[in-house]
Amino acid sequence: MLISLNWLSDYVDCSLSTESIAEGLTMAGLEVEAISVRHPQLKNVVTARIEAVEPHPNADRLKICLVRAHARGGELLRIVCGAPNARAGVVAPLALPGAELSGGVVREAKVRGEVSGGMLCSRKELGLGEDHGGIWILSAETAVGVALDEALGIRDVLMEIGITPNRGDCLSFMGIAREVAALCKTAARYPASAVEESGPPIDSLTSVTIEDAQGCPRYGARLICGVKVGPSPDWLKDRVEAVGVRSINNIVDVTNYVMMELGQPLHAFDFNRLREKRIVVRTARAGERFTTLDSVEREPGEGTVMICDGVGPVAIGGVMGGLNSEIAPDTCDVLLESAYFNPVSIRRTSRALGLKTEASYRFERGTDPDGVPRALDRAAELMRRVGGGRVAAGRIDVLPHPIAASEVELRCERVNRLLGTSLACDEMKEYLESIEMRVEKTAPGLLRVRVPGFRSDITREVDLAEELARLSGYDRIPVTSPLASVHAADCDPRQMVRARAKELLIGAGFFEVINYSFIASDALGKLRYSDTDTVPAPIRVKNPLSDEQGVMRTTLMPGLLDNARHNIDHRSENFKIFELSKVFLPAGQGPGAEEIQHLAGIMAGNRSPLALYGEAEVDFADVKGVVEQICAFLRTEELRFRAESLPPWLEPSASASVYVSGQRVGELGSVHRDVLQACDVKRPLLAFRLDFDGLLDLRGPVPLYRGVPKFPPVPRDLALIAEERIPVEEPLEFIRSLKEPLVESVEIFDIFKSEQIGAGKKSIGYRFTYRAADRSLTDEEVNTVHGQLIAKVTARFGVSLR
Amino acid sequence: MKEAVENLLETACRALSELGEDSKALDLARVRFLGRKGELAQLFKELGKVSEQERREAGRLLNEAKARLETLFSEALEKRRELDSAGRQAIDVSVPGRRAPLGRLHPISQTAAEICRIFNWLGFETVEGPEIELDYYNFEALNIPRDHPARDMQDTFYISEDVVLRTHTSPLQVRTMEKRKPPVRVIAPGRTYRRDSDVTHTPMFHQVEGLMVGKEISFGDLKGILTTFVHQMFGKGVALRFRPSFFPFTEPSAEVDIECVMCRGKGCRVCKSTGWLEILGSGMVDPEVYKYVDYDPEEITGFAFGMGIERIAMLKFGIDDLRLFFENDLRFLRQF
Ligand SMILES: [Zn+2]
Repeated sequence: MLISLNWLSDYVDCSLSTESIAEGLTMAGLEVEAISVRHPQLKNVVTARIEAVEPHPNADRLKICLVRAHARGGELLRIVCGAPNARAGVVAPLALPGAELSGGVVREAKVRGEVSGGMLCSRKELGLGEDHGGIWILSAETAVGVALDEALGIRDVLMEIGITPNRGDCLSFMGIAREVAALCKTAARYPASAVEESGPPIDSLTSVTIEDAQGCPRYGARLICGVKVGPSPDWLKDRVEAVGVRSINNIVDVTNYVMMELGQPLHAFDFNRLREKRIVVRTARAGERFTTLDSVEREPGEGTVMICDGVGPVAIGGVMGGLNSEIAPDTCDVLLESAYFNPVSIRRTSRALGLKTEASYRFERGTDPDGVPRALDRAAELMRRVGGGRVAAGRIDVLPHPIAASEVELRCERVNRLLGTSLACDEMKEYLESIEMRVEKTAPGLLRVRVPGFRSDITREVDLAEELARLSGYDRIPVTSPLASVHAADCDPRQMVRARAKELLIGAGFFEVINYSFIASDALGKLRYSDTDTVPAPIRVKNPLSDEQGVMRTTLMPGLLDNARHNIDHRSENFKIFELSKVFLPAGQGPGAEEIQHLAGIMAGNRSPLALYGEAEVDFADVKGVVEQICAFLRTEELRFRAESLPPWLEPSASASVYVSGQRVGELGSVHRDVLQACDVKRPLLAFRLDFDGLLDLRGPVPLYRGVPKFPPVPRDLALIAEERIPVEEPLEFIRSLKEPLVESVEIFDIFKSEQIGAGKKSIGYRFTYRAADRSLTDEEVNTVHGQLIAKVTARFGVSLR
Repeated sequence: MKEAVENLLETACRALSELGEDSKALDLARVRFLGRKGELAQLFKELGKVSEQERREAGRLLNEAKARLETLFSEALEKRRELDSAGRQAIDVSVPGRRAPLGRLHPISQTAAEICRIFNWLGFETVEGPEIELDYYNFEALNIPRDHPARDMQDTFYISEDVVLRTHTSPLQVRTMEKRKPPVRVIAPGRTYRRDSDVTHTPMFHQVEGLMVGKEISFGDLKGILTTFVHQMFGKGVALRFRPSFFPFTEPSAEVDIECVMCRGKGCRVCKSTGWLEILGSGMVDPEVYKYVDYDPEEITGFAFGMGIERIAMLKFGIDDLRLFFENDLRFLRQF
């Protein structure tokens, strides 16, 4: 809401500075978002009298004006001017050096060899009109040497105030005036609403019937006959333009003026274009079509409140008038509408039609049903004055059911407890009365508050509590500590594990990324998923900003691949990134989706952060190590990697699925080259993905302490020459499955191929650690057991002992 | 005897000065003079042959000689060690360490964790909820009916007529109260979505919601808790301002401004010369909301608040472009 302080001063006297008013309004919940000068270009523009005119020595068309720009005394300024009407004795606007006009900044400059100390201006040059015929000759009585805006009485300050949806009453000068009045501890002044009536009573000329009392609980009308439609007088034009409304003509401007003034939207019909000269308020019929003022044919839809004449619609109630009854240059008689519409109904209509107007904006926020007649009278009188018509006697005011003012009981003690304040009951009464509430003390500590019609947002005690907090000042509410019982905040173990898993990855050199939850509609295609794949189709967003954000992600990979592309393109080629966040699977539990946590990461480039320690690139073992580390952290059991059931975005020859306790929990490996190409990634990538929620369910229990071994370990090695196709883990698994009690651990310490071993073979070195809990093992004892194990391994795998 | 001692000392001195580089020679010399069967020990043995009158004097001489020799040898040893280490090639300590790579948490995660930590410490439990949310929880039960202008405050992504991408973390208020009896003290971080994309808006962003409900919880308590939070987050001296505002699910509602952390309240570009920065919305839970969760508004009062994590992170780290958060550029991520 744009507020002109000049205009506002019609309704309230407040001696506070502009800054204090702005601060006060902001702290009362009406945030002043900006303060500006109405005509910033008039800074450094003053009134000046041309005392004498001399010819310019070097140019025939120019002259030198000797100008007085001081009230009294001072030197005459020499101003070069070419306007034919610049002559001695006239008063005109003078832009002094530094004035910022639309044409540029005025400077002292030489014009054809003569110094000019400023510029005499036309209306157009000042942005105050279109006239460019010469300099603007001001009235001869105009004081000389004063700021032009002050001399013209158009000096003004504008405040942009953010109005929250609950404060529809503040969408007017009167509403803001009431708040300023409360701030200044004074009373707001309502504009006079006496109407000079003449002519026959309105009832004899027209009628109003409300058929839809639900949508339109009150409808008032007045008739102004014999008006002359034309441009608005300057004062009216200036005011509506000050708050950013385009001036149309005197009649329409009055309706806008009064709406801005009182917050009551009005509509003016050309009375003679109303068929049967009457108004009927009813709901729209199915399929009914109607052309609004903006020349758009619309179908309002059933239930819409329509203002009709004796035959058909002439306006969409509370939203916009119709082309068929608009004020035209030849309009002579005006039927003025002032009504109260149901806010919900207006909002539905406005939304359904996609049509938002100053009127609908106010009606859907709730206007003052009691304010209907005041606005009607005010506008009728103004139309009479600026349009020269006669106002028919009386007004029509149809009100099928009385609209009760809301009455609220207020328990002073309860409000103080809610706010933490200690306001006296009488103090509360005073505060509420300062915003025009009628307050009655009905019992000790009990107030009965009658809420004025314009505050439709106040219906409950708690609403009054807010008013009291606001009016007495939020800053005066004491800062206290709640009294609460001591209890430890429960902690969801899943959140904790997620946080710790992130820390673990960071320690492994990974940077966390956060990507949007939506992905492109074709993102799965880029991952080489085809329609025949049994992956669930992602959930669609009905109204996405773009196709790039068309669906909810079912995988974290598209985001990560895009991050990889971005970073490689920006020459960050060595990186490890991960995201631990939700994906959205259709159906399942949850309101719209099953939302589960996935963990996925990408690695690229050098393993070591420093080239000094080698520039080897990360490989499969690195990405596998990350997954192993996470599983070790979670104490999962039976971690296996198998090159099967791979998703299409992985390179089949260099990837594996991850199994924990027999359950598939994810995959890892090299990203498929076609995927890299489709995603425009210019370097090879390694990636992993884990169903983190699933993995959490498989995590091991808190370990129980077992004694630290007291006796020394005995190491033994085994070197197997095995078929190359045999996974190194297979013999290991076998050894473990034998469950030899003396074997504490077995690990692989060496894998190599050579000509000596022969083609298609590899040598695998296994290191056994033997230990007994109750004694030191002897060499003989270990040798026996080790020998037996070797025999079993060779028998099982048919491999030879080196 | 005196002569023999002097001779010994002289020989030892000469031997030491002629030792050269060899460190073994020093050990040998030590054995030769100070060893169990060394030359000094030999002289001590001869002490018995000395007449009784002279023995005392001779003993003194020998002990002095012993002390002298020991000093000489330890000095020589010290010198030897110095020479040794001076001769050895020293490590260039400026060569970079072989460090394990270190990553970083995303600044939004860091900020969210910090906010949650403060509230956890105040006894607020962290809860989570769905991001694809029912219209009922996102709007309806928060006192934002379908035909209310307050719906204009948030541009919504729809999945279907009744399902939306949550526009705020406030649904957690209702979800939590639905499940629990008062008192309730929770904090709910998470992703939120609004159909808006420009320099100051991203279609996805993060919020933290807080809720404290019980008996006798007042607006003063809301001020107390949020003041504690701001002082923990931004520093003890930072001023706060509570300003009336409007949220359909709180009454009274308050916007909380903090003294601009960039200019300390003097006025700058970040605070648009006001000296204040808006950081969170809050208020006393509206009695309408209690009706949806079957709490008795006469019995129970409480407050709720919500803040944008990006906003806090931008202030905390001095980040001036919101979109950087979701570009995931390593040159950005490495800085935190
Ligand atoms: Zn600042």
